[in-house]
Amino acid sequence: MQSIINSIVKNRNLIIYLILSFISFSFLYNNSSLHFNEFGKISTYLSATSSKFSSSINSYFNLKSENEKLINENLQLKKMESKHRFTQINEDTLNSIISATVIVNSINKSKNIIIIDKGKLDNINLEMGVMSSEGVVGIVKSVTNNYASIISLLNTDLKLNAILKNSSTIGSVTWDGLNARILKLNDIPLSSSLKVGDTVVTGGMSFYFPKGVPIGRIINYDNNSLEGYYEIDIEAFNDFSSLSNLYILNRTDNNEIQSLLDE
Amino acid sequence: MNRELIGNISFYTIILALQLLVFNQFQLFGFVTPFVYLIIFIHYRISYDKTVLLLLGFIIGFIIDLSMQTYGCHTFSTITICYFRSRIEKSSFGVNANLPLAMIKGTPLLSRVSFFLSLIVIHSIIYYSFIFFNVNLLSTIFLYAFINSIATFILIWIISRLISDR
Repeated sequence: MQSIINSIVKNRNLIIYLILSFISFSFLYNNSSLHFNEFGKISTYLSATSSKFSSSINSYFNLKSENEKLINENLQLKKMESKHRFTQINEDTLNSIISATVIVNSINKSKNIIIIDKGKLDNINLEMGVMSSEGVVGIVKSVTNNYASIISLLNTDLKLNAILKNSSTIGSVTWDGLNARILKLNDIPLSSSLKVGDTVVTGGMSFYFPKGVPIGRIINYDNNSLEGYYEIDIEAFNDFSSLSNLYILNRTDNNEIQSLLDE
Repeated sequence: MNRELIGNISFYTIILALQLLVFNQFQLFGFVTPFVYLIIFIHYRISYDKTVLLLLGFIIGFIIDLSMQTYGCHTFSTITICYFRSRIEKSSFGVNANLPLAMIKGTPLLSRVSFFLSLIVIHSIIYYSFIFFNVNLLSTIFLYAFINSIATFILIWIISRLISDR
């Protein structure tokens, strides 16, 4: 305390000078319109510059929350999109899209799985369809309280019902374990007409996905098979190596369909 | 001490009255008003308290501002030269700076001129900077400050000689 007082006494002239300067400026600011305007301009410039600076820092630190906001927004858009595209699903089903973040992902095995950060506590159940903003990703294989593992489309065990979007010809999509971007579309009879670039979507004949979720596009096909079916290569819309945010579809009508099948 | 104080107050009052009643009416070249009141700060004895000088500068500057409707321009420029006066003294007079009345009597002419001019020029530049308050008018600010400084310097020098002779 004594040192503070000593310091004030020692610098009293500077302090008095600053106080008197402040009084002069106040006098100038309050009485002269020229100085009032000019001080106003300086004040505006300073506040705008400092605000811009602090806002750029804040926006950097808010990136995570902004990202979460975008994911939620995307989720809402997905639901709205589903309402228009997947007409076979009722309203309740649409409310059951859950967003999740990928925490483990592999593409270099023959039976690749993905692990997400949502589990039973988030209403994730077995055999739910999983998609990204690009298209189909896989099916929920096992669930713990907080996590779930997904059989990726890049899993040689998975066989997914699919159709050609243009002709509605039914087939199935599998993966041969070779190229992470190339899937196989099977069971399309040679009598069907198709061309490179045709889009392949889910067929809706399973519990996992409604009809019309994009899977990929035809990039190559062979019609010389002796079995009467095309050998078709499709390029997946999803880049499985860079999956980040996924959406899990909870089809509430599954039990109803299952009970009909059980009868 | 009391006599000296009364003498000083009388001197300040006379100079202030001269500034308000005579020199404020001056319009050299239509725009130059010599700031003769600066003689008070030039002749202020360095043996006195610097804080008193600052307060004196503030009061006198404020009175001039009120009379000229310059709203604080004189006040700020005056307290600034009062605050930096001791440094200007040191740069002008060197080792003699601490001697009472060194700047008036028995000092080299060049040091005296340098001291007078430094205080006057700094004051004028600050004053006109605040009067125009526009970066685009820098040349005008310096021109006005230059002409005003010369006029002020001549008058203050003459008055100083008169005081000194007396």
